[in-house]
Amino acid sequence: MLKRLLLGIVGVIVLGIIAIAVFAWRPAIAEIAPPAPGGFAPALVAQGEVLASAGYCASCHTAKHGKPFAGGYPMATQFGTIYSTNITPDPQTGIGTWSEPAFRRAMHEGVARNGAHLFPAFPYDHFTKLSDADVAALYAYFMTRAPVRQDASDNTVPFPLNIRALQAGWKFLFFTTGRFRAEPAHSALWNRGAYLAEGLSHCGACHTPRGMLGAEIKERAYKGAPIDGWIAPPLDSTNPSPVPWTQAELVAYLGTGVSRYHGTAVGPMGAVPLGLSRLPASDIAAIAAYFASRNGSASQGAKGDAAIAHALAVDKVGTGLSYDPAARLYASACASCHYNGRQLNPLRPDLALNSAVNLDDPTNLIRVILYGVNAQDGVPGVVMPGFAHGFTDADIARIAAYLRNTRTDKPAWADLEKTVATIRAQGQGQ
Amino acid sequence: MSRLITRSNAANPLSRRGFLVASSAAGVAFGFSRVIAAIDPAVPGSVPAPATGAVFEPTIWFGIDAAGIVTVNIIRAEMGQHVGTALARILADELEADWSKVRIVHVDSDPKWGYMVTGGSWSVWQTFPVFSPAGAAGRIALIEAGAKLIGANPASCTAKGGAVHAGGRSISYGDIAKSGTVARQFTPDELKALPIKPVKERRLIGRETHGLDIDAKTNGTAIYGIDAKIPNMVYARPKLPPTRNGSKVVSIDDAAAKKVKGYLRYLVLDDPSDTVPGWVMVIATSYYAALKAADLLEVTWTAGPGADMTEASLQDHARALVGKADGGVTLDIVNATPAPTSAASTIEQIYTTATVLHFQLEPVNALAFEKDGVFEIHTGNQWQSLILPTLAKALGVPETKVVLRSYLLGGGFGRRLNGDYTIPAALATKALGRPVKMILTREDDARFDSVRSPSVQRLRMQFDGSGQIQAMEHHACAGWPTQVIAGPALLAKTKAGGQYDPFAISGADHWYDVGHQTVRAVANDLANATFRPGWLRSVGPGWTNWALESFIDEAAHHSKTDPVAFRLKLLTGKGRNAGSAPNAVGGALRQAEVVRRVAARAGWSAKLPADTGLGIATSFGQERDMPTWVACAAQVHVDRKTGIVRVEKLTLVVDAGTIVDPDGALAQVQGAALWGLSMALHEGTEFAAGQVKDTNLNTYTPLRIADVPELDIGFVESGNVPVGLGEPATTVVGPAIGNAIYAATGIRLRHIPITPAAVLSALNAS
Amino acid sequence: MTSFTINGRTITTDMEDDTPLLWVIRDHIGLTGTKFGCGIGMCGACTVHVGGRATRSCLTPLASVEGAVVTTIEGLDPASNHPLQQAWRDLQVPQCGYCQSGQIMQAAALLQDFPAPSDDEIDAVMTGNLCRCMTYVRIRTAIKQAAAKMETKA
Ligand code: FES
Ligand code: FES
Repeated sequence: MLKRLLLGIVGVIVLGIIAIAVFAWRPAIAEIAPPAPGGFAPALVAQGEVLASAGYCASCHTAKHGKPFAGGYPMATQFGTIYSTNITPDPQTGIGTWSEPAFRRAMHEGVARNGAHLFPAFPYDHFTKLSDADVAALYAYFMTRAPVRQDASDNTVPFPLNIRALQAGWKFLFFTTGRFRAEPAHSALWNRGAYLAEGLSHCGACHTPRGMLGAEIKERAYKGAPIDGWIAPPLDSTNPSPVPWTQAELVAYLGTGVSRYHGTAVGPMGAVPLGLSRLPASDIAAIAAYFASRNGSASQGAKGDAAIAHALAVDKVGTGLSYDPAARLYASACASCHYNGRQLNPLRPDLALNSAVNLDDPTNLIRVILYGVNAQDGVPGVVMPGFAHGFTDADIARIAAYLRNTRTDKPAWADLEKTVATIRAQGQGQ
Repeated sequence: MSRLITRSNAANPLSRRGFLVASSAAGVAFGFSRVIAAIDPAVPGSVPAPATGAVFEPTIWFGIDAAGIVTVNIIRAEMGQHVGTALARILADELEADWSKVRIVHVDSDPKWGYMVTGGSWSVWQTFPVFSPAGAAGRIALIEAGAKLIGANPASCTAKGGAVHAGGRSISYGDIAKSGTVARQFTPDELKALPIKPVKERRLIGRETHGLDIDAKTNGTAIYGIDAKIPNMVYARPKLPPTRNGSKVVSIDDAAAKKVKGYLRYLVLDDPSDTVPGWVMVIATSYYAALKAADLLEVTWTAGPGADMTEASLQDHARALVGKADGGVTLDIVNATPAPTSAASTIEQIYTTATVLHFQLEPVNALAFEKDGVFEIHTGNQWQSLILPTLAKALGVPETKVVLRSYLLGGGFGRRLNGDYTIPAALATKALGRPVKMILTREDDARFDSVRSPSVQRLRMQFDGSGQIQAMEHHACAGWPTQVIAGPALLAKTKAGGQYDPFAISGADHWYDVGHQTVRAVANDLANATFRPGWLRSVGPGWTNWALESFIDEAAHHSKTDPVAFRLKLLTGKGRNAGSAPNAVGGALRQAEVVRRVAARAGWSAKLPADTGLGIATSFGQERDMPTWVACAAQVHVDRKTGIVRVEKLTLVVDAGTIVDPDGALAQVQGAALWGLSMALHEGTEFAAGQVKDTNLNTYTPLRIADVPELDIGFVESGNVPVGLGEPATTVVGPAIGNAIYAATGIRLRHIPITPAAVLSALNAS
Repeated sequence: MTSFTINGRTITTDMEDDTPLLWVIRDHIGLTGTKFGCGIGMCGACTVHVGGRATRSCLTPLASVEGAVVTTIEGLDPASNHPLQQAWRDLQVPQCGYCQSGQIMQAAALLQDFPAPSDDEIDAVMTGNLCRCMTYVRIRTAIKQAAAKMETKA
């Protein structure tokens, strides 16, 4: 009896494996001789360059101090570290032998030229929305880069998760292939924004919470999520910023890396404005219009004005004579850059309005205080020093609590000192 | 500080050598290469320009080259007083030099310069009687030589603007120097008899000028000790032991440190001078590598004395000591009246002050190397003559084999009187055979600081039936810097053979008439064993005047007398308080005058809003032999809800005799007053586990720009002997604030720093 | 390898990524006008401009200035004649001078954002710059004098 039952189970498993294997199987696409770079129309290459920038391809496919697009950038996931691949046209280690259909299949379906399924760390669930024309431009761009011979690093995803075929199961559960479809109810601008945000620029990859198996939870789109030790804030109406994210502020933020009412783009967001900066202004306006419509900011103007007035009023707190040790810390370490007083200056990010001070989770604030902002992030060429080597956990907790208390009407953060210690222990990351 | 100088024979260069006035051969300027031996803070990089042609060098204090450039040699450290400018103007005034051609160089520690120390606010006071005749001697020699060169009668010649004039003819000092013909010698007696210009003929002294060191301090070209460099040097950061004294290294593990790129090795210092026991130096090719490696180096020590010391135990010990009738040393005060046997009323109070860090902005550092058998220490230092013998002992070489090269000081405030920080760099270079540049981190600097000792003082006053003061006692207990750092030779002695640290008690021996007066200095032996107490801007009066001037205020209120009137009544200038020539002419009457003036200037009797008060305090500076008369009125507002004391205005009046550099003097008083404010309200630390608790600005909170109140500072115009003013204003601000708080609220605070918590608890108690 | 420009000069260095910009400037590049005071961003002695903004170099890791434009006190004005430097000399602001490079660099950034600063604005922006010699009264006056001068020029 038992034996039969066991046999039955094994049989089901075997059948299942076969079924998965059949379902999962993708053919290899034949190798080609690397196409001559001169064969691509320069205008197409140029368009591909813009798209590659707005898709942040370099961010993930370039290792620190590495050659552009040669891969090796580590991505820590809950399932292990995955290293990005070499997407230069090197025939041995890159994609030099990939035909355009092979490249297109990778973008649209998450399948490598040899038929292997790609990990969804590569956001093909977004790229599947890209038009064939845009994929062709990207192909032209990558095939005209300088080839770099650099082998891929070994991923640390453990067995059995590292079985590529299993990715097919993941796709079955969470992935639908298909190009972007415009919503006729919305304007052309909105639809252009949606195309870019949902597809090429894959905003949900960071801002939408993910389930147990790492897939974006569609019903909770843009509700905010933790990412690489940071918090990607909500992009819908639940965003806690005192000043609503209007279309104009989104344009400023995405276009320059800084919004006078919200702060600068840092952490994983740091690469975004830089990436988008190659797009025409109309495209940035389109993305902004798309999110402004999703977050309903248009109807909340008065709230913003009140918040700004409040921020300017509380700016003076702690900058004059004070014996409060937290106020003295703030006045000495922070105010020289963050004080505004009479009017808001986008280069002096106002901490009463800043997202990091207003989020339910203090992570972003603590991270920025600890590790600062480098010249590539946020406002290009401007840095914020990191206080990790200067301040104790208690000092940073004191400043964070002080800002929360004097700059917002939100509840105090709990366990700040411990949180600082935890984030410090995680290290700066990349 | 003046005691040190008046006591020390070596300190008076005039008594040690006469002036040789002679011209020297072309190009040989000062007997050594100026380029490495000296700095000129006025030029980028601080490297003095070479002399042009023949140099006329009538004394060791200055030379005039063929281009007419007058180079004045300064043995004092430049730490913000623009001291070289002030001193050079004294000399140049007598010399009748063209000021635009005057340069200054801060010289090295060659023994020919005599005793080298910068402190106690006495640079101008001490140098005036040396530089005036030096300038005059030069002027006379130049007139004689110049007269000969232009064929005129010396008697009909005058010197002005860097040239000798006779009728229509004139010859510049540079041309006289170029001729190489000046030779003239003055005996000490002749020097003494030289005609010093009357006050009204002074052209430079007392006139506004531009500090020669200023410009380089606005463009990054000024060179401080921390900027010193030499080819092939390695960097060092020390790893400090758990206690200041007596720690011993048990084991070291540098496995982790070895991973730091640039880390070379560690060194356990073997220090025959016992200045830095238990120190380990981390050596690397860059300072940042040394920083990182030191953090990773694991050292275990056995701790020396005081490893468990707390501020409370230090203070409790001091409290017990001042409470006892015996112990310590009672100063020699000639009392005109005997001690009273009974009193109608008595007041007695205890005053305390917290541990204070110097926190000079440039952490201590030193570059050391050996060249041709001579150890050179490049650093900023205030007391070369004190540390040289220690360096010699540490290195095991004669003193002649050690030389200190002066750099600008990024703040002194007395920290660099103690040159202890030169020892580890010297030992390291000796051990490595290679130049070593040691820089302390701020945290290391704070832990290694010779802090201002915490203090406890007991003051007592007895009155007769008519309210007259019959007697006053002042018992002060603190760590004794001079005993610990400079040794017994520099202690003061009483007739009865007692030895005490004059710096730890100065200020208590005041100029008020209080009947029978007793002043007793008690060393806090626990403090002396736990750390090395330091001299900090104005030293003893930093605590003695806090107690004295708070107590005088309490006595005034006890006598139901206005605090200003009370002080004026006691400052009669009679008997031992009459003052004497040359330094203390006028005595207590001059102190009374600054009190009167400050009261008028601050609007003493004006009606003030609620919880706002004016308080007064006065001081004669450090020492009765070099009094600088200062009075301060503080106007404060006390917030009864928060306990926050807001100082609205500080008014100060200073009588420092002749003011050589008026703007520089004002700057010194501004700085000193704000230091006083900082120590009264904003800074102060405490000992915990044998170390100071606050080691950096995250918790140590000195005064910043937003804390600055309105300042109104006036000087008494005077032709009297110029005395020091870098320090005295420091000591009046604290008690003036304490007294103002009393005036505003009726609460009396007897500890500095005054915290809002202390104010609140006193308000609640009242 | 990190590259950035400093006072108009391009620097490429292989110093460790985490090396504070302060020590790169002082020890590697050899510009010593920028000072070390606290190392924790609380004294301002190390203030330089990065991308035109006052920045505490002691806490700025080398890696974070990749591609950035750095200016130190030596490069603030080609002839060391920035209106602030003139005012600083005119009013004899420095005492020991150690904090003053940082003060001037911070003040220059202040005047960009607040061309006619009030006392409150000076306090708020300059509080991070400690002057242990307490030259604050003159710093305040000098900033205002420079601001007035820049105003009339503009
Ligand atoms: S040394 Fe950088 S702020 Fe103090
Ligand atoms: S001038 Fe000395 S620290 Fe500012």
